[in-house]
Amino acid sequence: MSAPPSRTDAVPALAADDLSVSFGPKTALAGVTLSIPRGRVVSIIGPSASGKTTLLRAFNRLNELTPGAVTTGAVRFNGIDLHGGEVDPVEVRRRIGMVFQQATVFPRSVFDNVAFGPRASGYGGDLHELAEEALTAAGLWSEVAEDLDAPALALSSGQQQRLCIARTLALKPEVLLLDEPTSALDPAATARIESSIHALKRDHTIVLATHGRRQAARLSDLTAYLAGGELVEYGPTETLFTNPRDPRTESYLTGRIP
Amino acid sequence: MTVARLPGAGAASHGLADRLAGPVLLACTVAAAGTLVALAGVLGVEAGRFFAQVSPVRFFTEADWTPFAEEPRFGVLPLLAATAQITAGAGVFGVPAGLMTAVYLEHYAGARTERALTAVTALLAGVPTVVYGCFALDFVTPALRSLWPGTEAFNALSACLVVGLMIVPTVVLLSRAALKSVPAQLMEAGLALGASRGRVVARVLVPAALGGIVAAVFLALARAVGETMIVTLAAGNQAQPTWSPLEGLRTLTAFIAQSGPGGAPSGSLQYGAVFAASAVLLAFSWGLHAAGMFLVSRRRRGGAR
Repeated sequence: MSAPPSRTDAVPALAADDLSVSFGPKTALAGVTLSIPRGRVVSIIGPSASGKTTLLRAFNRLNELTPGAVTTGAVRFNGIDLHGGEVDPVEVRRRIGMVFQQATVFPRSVFDNVAFGPRASGYGGDLHELAEEALTAAGLWSEVAEDLDAPALALSSGQQQRLCIARTLALKPEVLLLDEPTSALDPAATARIESSIHALKRDHTIVLATHGRRQAARLSDLTAYLAGGELVEYGPTETLFTNPRDPRTESYLTGRIP
Repeated sequence: MTVARLPGAGAASHGLADRLAGPVLLACTVAAAGTLVALAGVLGVEAGRFFAQVSPVRFFTEADWTPFAEEPRFGVLPLLAATAQITAGAGVFGVPAGLMTAVYLEHYAGARTERALTAVTALLAGVPTVVYGCFALDFVTPALRSLWPGTEAFNALSACLVVGLMIVPTVVLLSRAALKSVPAQLMEAGLALGASRGRVVARVLVPAALGGIVAAVFLALARAVGETMIVTLAAGNQAQPTWSPLEGLRTLTAFIAQSGPGGAPSGSLQYGAVFAASAVLLAFSWGLHAAGMFLVSRRRRGGAR
């Protein structure tokens, strides 16, 4: 008897398999293996230069844009090897959205920012409807609905970051990669972004790289601790925070490692 | 009793240099500004003397420029039209070539190609215009004549092509500076939204740099307006106004260069005409500058929409 067809839920949304990335002589990730279950929020925590950003960027093939980047091992999206010959990086980036540490709004109108991705992919539907949906999901709609033609650079930095989230959501990605999205923001703006992330949990798999230990604890189901490019510990957030297995995790969580 | 001194406190030369720096720099600035005032003053006085004898209305409306004829006529329109033709023609060839080079170097070229082509651009900027002029006369014009046998030895097209080539480095260097001022993360952000490189360049990066690019174009065109050597060598000094690109013409600069040094006796009407033509040339060139600056500032105020 053949095995019953595996439920798609059993296949992780994203998986890294012995993933190493180096830039010239510098190793950024060394043999990381972990899987991101569908529909969960996973935090990647760790000190500066621990490889958080590189791991996120490996998930939608952004590392290859950096000259001298060498990637070994595999990254799988719904079980498909992202570096397989027939995989188009453009399609990968449409389905796995990324929000950067610094808000990277385009110096155009709010609407043009949200419509950028859908226009690039030749979206045939109503762009205004899509923009409203994406801006609402990012928790920005009520603040910009009055004037969608206003220049995006006129928004506050917190609003700009939510606009970047909306812009990514407009592509209806399955996975959201958030690279320290609140590190440049004040507490009030951070709180708004966190409530947006909270609302997005329902429909998305989210990978959140963060410096904020408490942010990871507040938002995520699972947490991975990276140090020096290696995955030290990975597990349910509550377990990892209350009862870390590895002494390095514990010293990071107690603040002995900055 | 000894007075404790901090090490270096006795270096009086530092203090002297510091005290002198302000006045010396100020003097340089005043000299530059003074030169400009003197230049405008001389032009104004001489042109004023000229216009006391020649009606400005006729000067700007008549299309007949024969200052050395028995009955001289001073209708500047043919010179103005010729300058406009050369400038526009040079712009048609030089601006797209320069802009495409700048975008290529900034966003497409690999590191090695970029270095090599940047060096070539810098070399191009260092070519004296008289050399460009000889190139026009000895290479471009013969090539044009083999294509269109009716082409005259002095013709506007050759001048347009070579002046166009001359302004390419200006367009490249200045518009690259504008492209560089756009945050590099925007390219990555665009690619991360599933756009192609070309789309990010065309929809985001170039529009974001448009203010500086427009300024680059206008500054390059201002150079074309004032270009003398290439124009004289390639397009000659034909008094007869023409619109045909295959015939020669006479620009404001060509007339000034020919008639200024010793061509016209000091104090004569012809001598005044040189200054009147110079004033028109200066107004043309400054007009382009001002238009560029205006467009840049209007874009800035528009919040880079």
